[in-house]
Amino acid sequence: MGDKVIEVKDLVKEYKQLRAVDGISFDVYEKEIFGLLGPNGSGKSTTINSVLSLLKYSSGSIKLFGREMTPDAYDLKRDTGVIFQDVAVFSELTVYENIDYFCGLYITGKKERKKCVEDAMELVGIGDFRKFYPKQLSGGLLRRLNIACGIAHKPKLIFLDEPTVAVDPQSRNNILEGIMKLRDNGATVVYTTHYMEEVEQICDRIVIMDKGKIIASGTCDELKKLAGTEEKITVGLKNTDKDPTDGIRKLLHVTDVFKEDSIITVSYDGGTHNIARLIDHLREQGVSYSTINSQRPTLNDVFLELTGKELRD
Amino acid sequence: MFLHNYKYSLRLMLGNRQLVFWTLAFPLIMALLFNMAFSNIEKSEKLDPIPIAVVDDSSFRSNMIYSETLKTLGEGDDRVFDISYTDEEKAKTMLSAGEITGYVRFAGGEPKITVMSDGIKETVMCCVFDEIGNESKLITNSGMEEIARQLQSGNKDIDYKAVFTAEAEKVMGTDTGLKDTSPGNMSFVMIEYYSLIAMACMYSGLLSMTLMNYNLANVSPVGKRCTVSPARRGSRLLGSLSASFTVQFFGLLILYLLLLFVVRADFGTKLPQIILLSLLGSLAGLTLGVAVAVLVRINENAKLTVLISAVMAGCFFSGMMGITMKNIIDKNVPVLNRINPVAMITDGLYSLYYYESGERFIIDAVSLAVFSAVMLLISFTGLRRQQYDSL
Ligand SMILES: Nc1ncnc2c1ncn2[C@@H]1O[C@H](COP(=O)(O)OP(=O)(O)O)[C@@H](O)[C@H]1O
Ligand SMILES: [Mg+2]
Repeated sequence: MGDKVIEVKDLVKEYKQLRAVDGISFDVYEKEIFGLLGPNGSGKSTTINSVLSLLKYSSGSIKLFGREMTPDAYDLKRDTGVIFQDVAVFSELTVYENIDYFCGLYITGKKERKKCVEDAMELVGIGDFRKFYPKQLSGGLLRRLNIACGIAHKPKLIFLDEPTVAVDPQSRNNILEGIMKLRDNGATVVYTTHYMEEVEQICDRIVIMDKGKIIASGTCDELKKLAGTEEKITVGLKNTDKDPTDGIRKLLHVTDVFKEDSIITVSYDGGTHNIARLIDHLREQGVSYSTINSQRPTLNDVFLELTGKELRD
Repeated sequence: MFLHNYKYSLRLMLGNRQLVFWTLAFPLIMALLFNMAFSNIEKSEKLDPIPIAVVDDSSFRSNMIYSETLKTLGEGDDRVFDISYTDEEKAKTMLSAGEITGYVRFAGGEPKITVMSDGIKETVMCCVFDEIGNESKLITNSGMEEIARQLQSGNKDIDYKAVFTAEAEKVMGTDTGLKDTSPGNMSFVMIEYYSLIAMACMYSGLLSMTLMNYNLANVSPVGKRCTVSPARRGSRLLGSLSASFTVQFFGLLILYLLLLFVVRADFGTKLPQIILLSLLGSLAGLTLGVAVAVLVRINENAKLTVLISAVMAGCFFSGMMGITMKNIIDKNVPVLNRINPVAMITDGLYSLYYYESGERFIIDAVSLAVFSAVMLLISFTGLRRQQYDSL
């Protein structure tokens, strides 16, 4: 791992009634995509806004690039780019002008800025719409513009707060690819979302938040170990004359078998070739099946295991 | 950075149709409407003499300046007033019967004006009495000085009446005095145009407030973006302010061109001062807008309401909706005029119209500058190390 780019220690943020962030600590390292995963209201945006010194937090310490972050830390701000949860663009300005305006808050040189704006448009694939006004853009394109406005100045550290909410699949893939490209070009990325698939897809390290607290952290694989199962195989039976569950339970690595109507779900705590072994067993028993598939646990299973509820409601 | 901000601020203002309408087009439309309304009045007749009553008691008769002036104003074809000299009871009945616009009673040397409503005639009546009052102070002061001079030089046998008459003639004769207050010159229409100019100045606050809101993290999403950028708050504030001042400047320019060449309003000989005053007035409006944006921590619409209410209150207390209010404030809470930018603008414009000496104009201009400086100062202070409890 590289140098620490963000160090958050014991951060607490209280609104009038509510402890939105409840003593969290985490570090983000250079050139990684750091995922902040949690359901709505778990305190992700509050954390980001506190780290950025927009919010007055109750206690704790925040360092960016090894230095304390304050509202006046202009040189730290210069190296940072932020994409907020709400789309923040001017409806009076075109796509190009919007990016140029926000980029100009960081970069004064005209030539340099022009290049930056072009690069940003290319990264999110919005070049064809440069003369469009925001209200002429689809939801996905608007989100892409929103991202371009935040990263045009080529920051070393990028915060993205739920950048893919209400976005079509094509734009979503475009956005996720863009974020990985930014990382590959040397940026450090903090990415918050409540979509676990996205986190699994792009994040190098992940922190799972719930009710203002960090309930788990690590790489995707590390987290999945917490789910209690390593593999889940579901079998759709053709007919339910025979009940093969007792036999399956005796197979290697099986921790649990669950049957509901014609569907059997088998949980494993490890092992390889589990699916082949199960198929052999079913053939031996003369049980015919219509479907069979294997699933690795998802972060949703992890969340379920840790909190007893689903990540998405 | 400053130029970048400035350029885009202009774009943002001119791209906002609502803003353009209220700050640029609306005053022009009002000017044209006034013009239509007033040109009808002026065409149909020279302003009719205004019927008033004067309570004819010893207090009035002993007030030489007023009784003489009113006598003049009530005589001839181009008289301003039709004056009935009567007692207070009678005057009251005449007023409630609608026979007169208002009546005047003298107490302690000061005229007390009673009117029923706030119309143009009432406004003119109050204005004229205001002017007689100002004039009377001038005459009294210089008369006193003259008497003191004569006393000092050992003259014990002074003809007081002669002294005051001489002074009165001097005051009336020189340029320091009133303009002719006959209906032809006594332009209440100008009062309306002055109010319009004052209003146009103050509504410039909408421009600066809109721009400032774009800079504030608790008001707009783009404000969050600006706040996490390394652009200094002070420089963003000044960029917004100068861009809105530019737009306001051109707005005023168009308004003045319209007033001068289409409406053909008569600004007298002091156009440069009048323009200077309206630029200072605009600065006051713009800085007020910034201060409301920065200091009032509520949502955008609520801020708009606060700003518009503040301007409306300023207009009300400066007598824009009826001159009686101005008189009440002048007599009872004059300090309000010293903090009310609308009063500073209208008062400055009136004084340019009526007086040759520029003392009141200078006081008003300086007051506007001080007001703007104070607004800017508190805005800067409010912006320092700004962090929010909640977004
Ligand atoms: N300005 C605010 N005032 C009071 N409570 C707030 C405010 N903003 C957020 N909250 C509360 O704080 C909690 C965390 O919110 P947030 O950080 O926005 O969550 P997330 O971004 O993970 O969806 C939520 O319960 C939310 O209702
Ligand atoms: Mg959020």
